[in-house]
Formats: sequence, C-alpha cells, structure tokens
Amino acid sequence: MTGKDIIKITLNLVIVYLIGGFILAFVFANASPKIYKNNEEAEKKALKQLIPDADEIKKPANGDWTIHDKHAKYFIAKKGDEIIGYVIQSFGKGYSSYINTFVAVDKDFKVQKINILAHGETPGLGDEIETDWFKDQFKDKSIDHLKVIKGETREDIQAISGATISSRAVTEDAVKNGVAFLIKTVNPATEQRGSISNGVKEGGNTDVKQQH
Amino acid sequence: MSSNSTSLKELFLNGIIKENTIFKLALSLCPSIAVTNNLKNGIFMGLAVLFVQTMVNITISLMRKVIQPKVRLPIFMLVISGWVTITQMMMAAFVPDVYAKVGLYIALIVAFASILARAEMFASKNSIVPSMVDGLGMGIGFLFALTVISFFRELVGKGTLTVPTGLATQHVFTFINTKPLLIMVLPAGGFLAVGILMAAFNWLDARYMKKGAHETH
Repeated sequence: MTGKDIIKITLNLVIVYLIGGFILAFVFANASPKIYKNNEEAEKKALKQLIPDADEIKKPANGDWTIHDKHAKYFIAKKGDEIIGYVIQSFGKGYSSYINTFVAVDKDFKVQKINILAHGETPGLGDEIETDWFKDQFKDKSIDHLKVIKGETREDIQAISGATISSRAVTEDAVKNGVAFLIKTVNPATEQRGSISNGVKEGGNTDVKQQH
Repeated sequence: MSSNSTSLKELFLNGIIKENTIFKLALSLCPSIAVTNNLKNGIFMGLAVLFVQTMVNITISLMRKVIQPKVRLPIFMLVISGWVTITQMMMAAFVPDVYAKVGLYIALIVAFASILARAEMFASKNSIVPSMVDGLGMGIGFLFALTVISFFRELVGKGTLTVPTGLATQHVFTFINTKPLLIMVLPAGGFLAVGILMAAFNWLDARYMKKGAHETH
C-alpha cells in the first residue's frame, strides 16, 4: 500500500462520514423541536388521565426530588384556585429493574390512581404490575394500607402470584415512598398558604355557584 | 427479460426460505429472542427490520462504487446507524404514539448482524434493483420468523395473543386463563422456541421445497 492509497482511503472515509454527519444534523435540527413538543404534550396527557377533574396540573418551582438516586418530579393539581390533589413520580426497586411510577393522590393524600410508566420486570410474571386489576387496588388507599398481602385482601394490596417482589416494589417502595414524601413536603406548604385555602373552605358555599 | 424477472423472484424468495435470517442462517438470534415474548412485539420488530434492511441495501448499493474496499465496514456501520437514527427521529417527531410503542426496538437494529451481513454479501456487489429486492426478501423472511416465534411463545407461554389493531393500539385475546408453560416467555424459552421452530422449518423445507432447489442447481 503506497502513501497515495492511504490518503485516498482516509479521504474516502472522512468524506462519507462528513456527509453522513450533515444529513443527521439536518434531520435532527428539523425533528428535535417537534420531539420536544410531543414529549411535553404526552406528559400533559398522562397527568390529565391521572386526575381528570383538574383544570391545571403543574410542576411547582421546587417540584423535584430523588429516590434511589434517580431524579423524579411532582405536580400540583388545581381546579380553579383550589388544590384538589397531587401527582408524584416515583421509583421502586423491583426484581430486575427500577419501576417508574406515577402516583395520583387527592388532597387528603389518599391514592387515586397509579400508572406504571416503564419497567423491566420479568415478562409473564412481574409485568402484571401493568394490569388494571393490580393498579385498581390502589384506589382510595391511605398510606397505612399501602402494604402487600399474599392472598385475598380488600384493605391492603394483594400480591401478584409469582411476583411478590415486583408487587412490593410498586406498593411499598414506589407508591408508599412517594406518598410519604408528599405528606412530608407539601403539608407545610399548604399551611403557608393556609389563609388562601381557608378562604376557599369558608367561602365554599359561594363557590358552589361558580362550580355549577 | 423474463429470465430477469424470475431471478428477481428467486432472489426475493431466497431471503424468506433458502437463506432465512433466523431459521437458516441463525443470525440476529439475540434480539429476536429478546423481543418475541408477545406477538405484537415480534411483528413490530420485524417491520422495523424490514424497513431498515431495505433502505440500507439501497443506500449501500448506490454507494458501492465510491466506497474504498478497505474501509467498507465502518462505512456500512455509518449507513446502518444513520438510517436507524433518522427513522427514530422522524417517528418521534411525526408519529409519537407509534414511537412510544416501537421506539425501543428500532434502536436495537443497529446491532443486527443480519443487516450488516446483507450489506457485505449482497448490496455492496449488486445494482440497486436486486439489492432492494434482496432487502425486501430478507426483511420479510425476518418478519415471518419473528411472527411465528412470538406467536408460538406467547400462545404456549401465556395462553394469550397480543394482536396490534393499529399502530398504537392492541387487543389481547385470552385463550386460557392460566399460564400453561411460562418458561416459553422467559429468555430460556426463547432458545427452546427458536430451536423447535428452526427444526420444524428445516423439516418442512427439506420435505416440500427440495424439488425447487434441485431445479435451480
């Protein structure tokens, strides 16, 4: 191989890669604003599904927290000026993955709905955490009842047979820690705004007009 | 003219039967075992490979005269990963609902041995039309294999079939309410399923396709 060949081959590779890079950059520049917008809309839609009554679900300025060294967010759901609930993102350490979960609670911190966003649990066993029968069990559970029971239960959460670790990870790790964090963090904040929320409560009768 | 069209037909069938990526060449087994635990996943993965395989074959065939042989492999990799990335970005931008369901599989395609193998063995030596037909045949053969494997695994392992009813929707048919042979949806079962179906495919091929094979040789 002569020096000329080496230059020829190098140039060939460089030119092809440069062209490839330009094409990718062009596609990325056109697609990325749309991707960003889509992601935002998808998140909004997912939040809206968790608390359908809310007019607005917004992340507060300090709405970040960490669990299992992972960054997560929480949101405040409002109907008019009144806070009707919260949505918190949380992670649970499962059998083979961290389970990314959204938990919606009402203003008394009772779970309303949960949604599993992503996980890598065993197909056929652990992935039943995504089924409606498992998720529906969380409705109206307060933090004291967020524990997994093997066998029939109405008061607590019934484990998925063959996937106790995944059931526990969702219930006692992701959801429970999320709710506990909200109770700890959001309560003082509502006390600060006590005057406003009291005002809403006292003026409840007058608000009825607006609601109808 | 007629001999040309029959050879294209043969080329197309070659990828589906004689050189079926999974059942005959045993390439790309790793990702195919990873995604075939339900029917819907198998079908979407197969479709994604079909698209990328065809586009890569066309691109490589167009570029074959300007590629220096000594650096062909890095250039093939660029073309493959470029097409995968473009497909991913376009889908995320224009069909986000679909992307949310199948985006995961598309990224995996970069590592598919079968696509690099076709670029090296076929597209880099042939003109654009045969290369496209080869890509289509190989892709459809792959789609066929994944569909059969995932159908078998989900039905035997879970007693259900997850059928895509649209790009972002699906319907789960439940045949048995227990899990008859759960191991089939686990990774170990993937190897068993591929082995059993590979044997069945080769047996059928040997029994019914031999005649055709003799004629061509």
